[in-house]
Amino acid sequence: MSGAGGLAWRALHALLRALLCLQRALLACLRGRAAAGPRAWLWRRAASAAASCALLAPAAGAFAFRKAGAARRRPGGAAQRRQRWRSDGRALQKLPVHMGLVVTEEEPSYADMASLVVWCMAVGISYVSVYDHNGIFKRNNSRLMDEILKQQQELLGLDCSKYTVEFVNQDKADQVLNCQSTLKVLSPEDGKADIVKAAQNFCQLVAQQQRTYTDLDVNVLDNLLSSTNGFPDPDLVLKFGPVDSTLGFLPWHIRLTEIISLPSHLNISYEDFFSALHHYAACEQRWGK
Amino acid sequence: MSWIREGELTIIERFCANIIKAGPMPKHVAFIMDGNRRYAQKCHVERQQGHSQGFDKLAQTLRWCLNLGIREVTVYAFSIENFKRSKEEVDGLMDLARQKFSRLLEEQESLKKHGVCIRVLGDLPLLPLDIQELIAQAVLATRNYNKCFLNVCFAYTSRHEISNAVREMAWGVEQGLLEPSYHGDRYTSKTEEKLVMCLNRCLISVCTPTTPPIQTF
Repeated sequence: MSGAGGLAWRALHALLRALLCLQRALLACLRGRAAAGPRAWLWRRAASAAASCALLAPAAGAFAFRKAGAARRRPGGAAQRRQRWRSDGRALQKLPVHMGLVVTEEEPSYADMASLVVWCMAVGISYVSVYDHNGIFKRNNSRLMDEILKQQQELLGLDCSKYTVEFVNQDKADQVLNCQSTLKVLSPEDGKADIVKAAQNFCQLVAQQQRTYTDLDVNVLDNLLSSTNGFPDPDLVLKFGPVDSTLGFLPWHIRLTEIISLPSHLNISYEDFFSALHHYAACEQRWGK
Repeated sequence: MSWIREGELTIIERFCANIIKAGPMPKHVAFIMDGNRRYAQKCHVERQQGHSQGFDKLAQTLRWCLNLGIREVTVYAFSIENFKRSKEEVDGLMDLARQKFSRLLEEQESLKKHGVCIRVLGDLPLLPLDIQELIAQAVLATRNYNKCFLNVCFAYTSRHEISNAVREMAWGVEQGLLEPSYHGDRYTSKTEEKLVMCLNRCLISVCTPTTPPIQTF
């Protein structure tokens, strides 16, 4: 396309993008207003259907998102909250064993991520991993841990200083809420780079004639990966932010993972978090069958 | 051609295509062929009919991609996990594959005209022998075409592809074609970078003419 004709098509393209942006903004505004309404779920479905028609893929399926003013803390003491959240988890048809929290936004919030981790533990999720593509959480691991310990104390009245930082063995039979959830903080080096390292190590063994190339299959490579030792593959990933990508989060491990997108982790409420868990509990997983 | 529906776009489709092409366009699009059975249920037809219509829609989609100038398309047609389905359904899908690959081989002129290079990615030994033969013929017949690339993932999982790539590299090491090098117990970031390139080269889904040649790592 060249000359005046090309210019005309580019102008029409720009107009189309402007219209789509306007529609996205309108939907976001209306979604915010309707979110608290009694028919919030219906609204989300309608918005999702409308957005799909208008090719608004990132907005479609996004959950009602309450901005500032959403109470992170519900009324009642820590013990009541602990009981309530635990029974919320029990009421669900299925709960993920390993939940991944993936932040695609540029500026992650330690307080909001700590809340999410504490809620995961409170509802009974055994393994939690936290990820951002810049590795900010990993580099500032101790700051995140401090925030988590603080919120566990505030929200649940628990002192888990002995447990959270260490890598503990999970006793699956014991579902009583204490400090037995395990947390991993991951970054891109735990994804593709871990596969590369495993490949390097195997090839080194082959060079030393300790292994032969025919020894390598899917299971062998799986066992050579080290970034998620002791963790099962993620069942559910909550992805926060507008980017339509998991940005390198454990590419090997998420082959069967349900991925739910939320607009942002900033000022996220327990209701939004639990809504996503509810959505996961209701989803049909056929595993290829 | 049966895999790419013949015929040009309608006026409205051409109008929309021109607007879309005025902005940034992907060079490579992948399609996950999901929902055939739900579609069949919705239309009250047999599952097999759903799969067949899924293929027809793919043919139409490939036509759109060609018209939009998208040069590489990957289609996730059948996963290794799908072998868990009933024998009847798996046999039906294999029959469909047999039919479509056979038809493809009858359309050599059309393939040449469109310059379509067909690649089939997956654990092919898992497939019936006659289908493997048909696939091999289609891939060999089109290996030199380079106007556009159609990657069909059949009996595929990404884990299988990644572990296959590592096995290829290990084979290269065993044959003395590749030499791993490291400093003490630590690989330098430079060797890691070269290894990523090497691994990329071994991934069957990344074998395009523009991929850089294998390096030692």
